[in-house]
Amino acid sequence: MSGFDNFNTDFYQTSYSIDDQTHSYDYSGGGEPYNKQYSGYDYSQQSGFVPPEMMQQQQPYTGQIYQPTQTYTPTTAQSFYGSNFEDEPPLLEELGINFDHIWQKTLTVLHPLKVADGSIMNETDLAGPMVFCLAFGATLLLVGKIQFGYVYGISAIGCLGMFCLLNLMSMTGVSFGCVASVLGYCLLPMILLSSFAVIFSLQGMMGIILTAGIIGWCSFSASKIFISALAMEGQQLLVAYPCALLYGVFALISVF
Amino acid sequence: MADPHQLFDDTSATAPGRGYAAQQSPPVGYPAQGSFLAEPMSSFAMTYGSTLASHGKEIVDKNIDRFIPVTKLKYYFAVDTVYVGKKLGLLLFPFMHQDWQVRYQQDTPVAPRFDINAPDLYIPVMAFITYILVAGLALGTQNRFSPDILGLQASSALAWLIVEVLAILLSLYLVTVNTDLTTIDLVAFSGYKYVGMIVGIVSGLLFGKTGYYLLLSWCCLSIFVFMIRTLRLKILSEAAAEGVLVRGAKNQLRMYLTMAIAALQPLFMYWLTYHLVR
Repeated sequence: MSGFDNFNTDFYQTSYSIDDQTHSYDYSGGGEPYNKQYSGYDYSQQSGFVPPEMMQQQQPYTGQIYQPTQTYTPTTAQSFYGSNFEDEPPLLEELGINFDHIWQKTLTVLHPLKVADGSIMNETDLAGPMVFCLAFGATLLLVGKIQFGYVYGISAIGCLGMFCLLNLMSMTGVSFGCVASVLGYCLLPMILLSSFAVIFSLQGMMGIILTAGIIGWCSFSASKIFISALAMEGQQLLVAYPCALLYGVFALISVF
Repeated sequence: MADPHQLFDDTSATAPGRGYAAQQSPPVGYPAQGSFLAEPMSSFAMTYGSTLASHGKEIVDKNIDRFIPVTKLKYYFAVDTVYVGKKLGLLLFPFMHQDWQVRYQQDTPVAPRFDINAPDLYIPVMAFITYILVAGLALGTQNRFSPDILGLQASSALAWLIVEVLAILLSLYLVTVNTDLTTIDLVAFSGYKYVGMIVGIVSGLLFGKTGYYLLLSWCCLSIFVFMIRTLRLKILSEAAAEGVLVRGAKNQLRMYLTMAIAALQPLFMYWLTYHLVR
């Protein structure tokens, strides 16, 4: 951990670049937006561990789960780690990447008929969605479509649109990170679709049926999570429709 | 402290504890390494920066209400699935519906969730976006698609919508109608025609030109009737709205205005879709 240069030479904004870490994780590619999200995290190293709010696994994860706060607290996150080398928290904890939660959310997406727990979206986690976006772009690359820009652009615009719509439709508001996180996680079935496109073309009747099914799956699970997190009744189809439009655009990119 | 120009202590060759021992157990905000960050001015500057940012955020939150009336908009999005279903049915078949009056609850109209006659913004917004995507699909099947065409379609449809709403506002002003139609209401009513346009384009894709013309004329007729019946209650005077023949130039002018607004809808519906169906 010697070159642990995670204090900011960039003074006013955390530009904590994960790439500088001597450990290389797959998530390091998703540096930039994750950093911005990261800067909102509120650490307290000295006072014990913040108990995680969602404890749904049998084996307790005794690490710190950092809750993103609305207040802007730059640089406090990275700028300390105890006076001893042994006191430093493990890297994943400091990064806030919690594999358990990521796996749980992935399972929620993959089982569209299972009832979602409203509290799982309490912590906005953009690491998973970043990975999924990259994987989607990578599978498109396998077919020869170099369209990372479109993927990112459409997801940004789509997240913005959903954010505005959900804020207007729900009683409680919703934060942008939560919307981005949910939509990113529900992109997972779309990766399945584009990997099918590698093997056989999607432009036949079979491809159309498969595409329609996968769009339905994505939007159904996204709307299910939104409904349970925001406590909106009688509006699931209304939330699912714009999600279906967004995932339909992704499917358009995969198919054509 | 180390040399102030050096941003961090070089601990590469030595035991990890070396550079840290000089620092006290750091409270939040003080790094173990990095001399420039340990100075009190730096932490002050950091907190100042953070207060600036949160202050800016507060200003944005306070002033966003001045430009976009968020609470008023929330009324138009208070819908549920049953309402949307019934409203779509009403837009495509308005002939059997009897009571077009919006229910009021102590001076404020009831939310769309509870009254099918109340205008909403969910359907127009979704219909607009769907129209753009369906237009892209239609162009794609004719091999005329490119991503910037989508942007072109979107901006031209939006421009026509703005022109239409402005024209209606102007004519309402010129005729000096005392009505409680707000601008957002007009946007909502003008947005309802996109539903018919989508139906027309989809039928054109599935059944060719005959299907397109058939279903488009049906949708034009129904939106015409829908607009007349809805606007009649808002623009005309009470008596005329109930069917009593009220003579007088004022009411006649208002009747013509209502019919003109209603006739504008099929015109736009055809104008914005004919080039998509070949």
